[in-house]
Amino acid sequence: MYKLVKNPNDPTKLSGMIHRLSDNVFIPPDPANTDYQTFKKQINADEAQLEDADGNLMTDAKAFVASLP
Amino acid sequence: MPITLDGSNGITTPMYNGSITANAVTPSVNMKNRIINGAMVIDQRNAGASGTASGYTVDRWTYQPSQASKGTWQQNAGSVTPPAGFTNYLGFTSSSAYTVGSSEFFLLQQPIEGFNTADLGFGTANAKTVNLSFWVRSSLTGTFGGALNNSAFNRSYPFSFTISAANTWEQKSVTIAGDTTGTWIGATNGVGLYVNFSLGAGATVSGTANAWAGSFFVSATGATSVVGTNGATFYLTGVQLEVGSTATSFDYRPYGTEFDLCRRYYERLNLASPATATSNLYIGSTGLAWTSGDVRAYFRMYPKRAQPSCSQSGQIRFGTGTFGQTLSSGFTFDQPGPDSVLMYNNTGVSGFTEGRALQIWGQSSGYVDFSAEL
Repeated sequence: MYKLVKNPNDPTKLSGMIHRLSDNVFIPPDPANTDYQTFKKQINADEAQLEDADGNLMTDAKAFVASLP
Repeated sequence: MPITLDGSNGITTPMYNGSITANAVTPSVNMKNRIINGAMVIDQRNAGASGTASGYTVDRWTYQPSQASKGTWQQNAGSVTPPAGFTNYLGFTSSSAYTVGSSEFFLLQQPIEGFNTADLGFGTANAKTVNLSFWVRSSLTGTFGGALNNSAFNRSYPFSFTISAANTWEQKSVTIAGDTTGTWIGATNGVGLYVNFSLGAGATVSGTANAWAGSFFVSATGATSVVGTNGATFYLTGVQLEVGSTATSFDYRPYGTEFDLCRRYYERLNLASPATATSNLYIGSTGLAWTSGDVRAYFRMYPKRAQPSCSQSGQIRFGTGTFGQTLSSGFTFDQPGPDSVLMYNNTGVSGFTEGRALQIWGQSSGYVDFSAEL
């Protein structure tokens, strides 16, 4: 399970970081980061779910991931 | 006055009352060995403790199992004496007699960054011959296997080696003609090359030894399965991948150099209490009360291969001389660059004076991890 993270300076926006809840790891949106690669792969393969920054399950997770770098 | 140079004595220079001869040794060449932590010295994550999970063991070496709970890995497992000249090794001990499925595999693997393999010219007509040498020891004897792979896992070079005597260190050398075809990542921060040592591999992922193939193979056909024997051991050290057709002496790099090479991919920042800090890091006034309920720390780290994944463990205290708070959860990381990151906590934090600088230190073995592994 992954969760989006709020911008620490403006909570109305996202920071871009992805929170992997299983082991409390924060993943940057860097295509060279292998955790980020795995996150996108798992969401696209329906192997993991994504929550928004408020903890609500995202039903459009794949579309959101498609918009990421 | 002649100066002589030969392959046996090296350089001989005359002196007025004799001569002085320098030994003929292989000179230390920067990054001769493309393997990082080939002597298994650096173990930031585990500090010598054992593990069974897939993922990184000692620095830069991963354990890749198709099935969980088939063995244990550990730096210096079994506490045997390493081969002469080495102080550490990576050991694997099988915990069952598992029959490996046809497409399954169990590996000790190192992914090498493209920047460190681009000059090998793999995938071009100018591909260089490389040599893989290593020290290995097993409770089993026979033919064992491994393989090189490209990043897409569609080019493989299975290799085999024979362990003749049980529970005895033996040095092995495998010469590999560079791959002139296939797609190989060049000078980038992606995976340039995988080096695999097999602990067991099925028939589908095993191929003919000593030949490049356009398939995914991780071992040589018919190789011994370590996970197939309960209690079997496989120990490895002195791994060196170098340009050339012969193995040369192991490239012992300074500890600090090897440590820095590892930290490009992973770094654990131990935060020690100021009362007990001796060798561990104690971070001084690098924190800030952003608001009364939001404390922040700015960490510098060794420059990473990519923006790192970040995590925290244990307790971290933010404080001044008269006020502070010890926090063990609620930390969030943001704005990671290759060499810095912001860590903040605005969960359950209160009472700080906005704008005040704070000391930060760890309690209960608090640490933060930065991972930019391949």
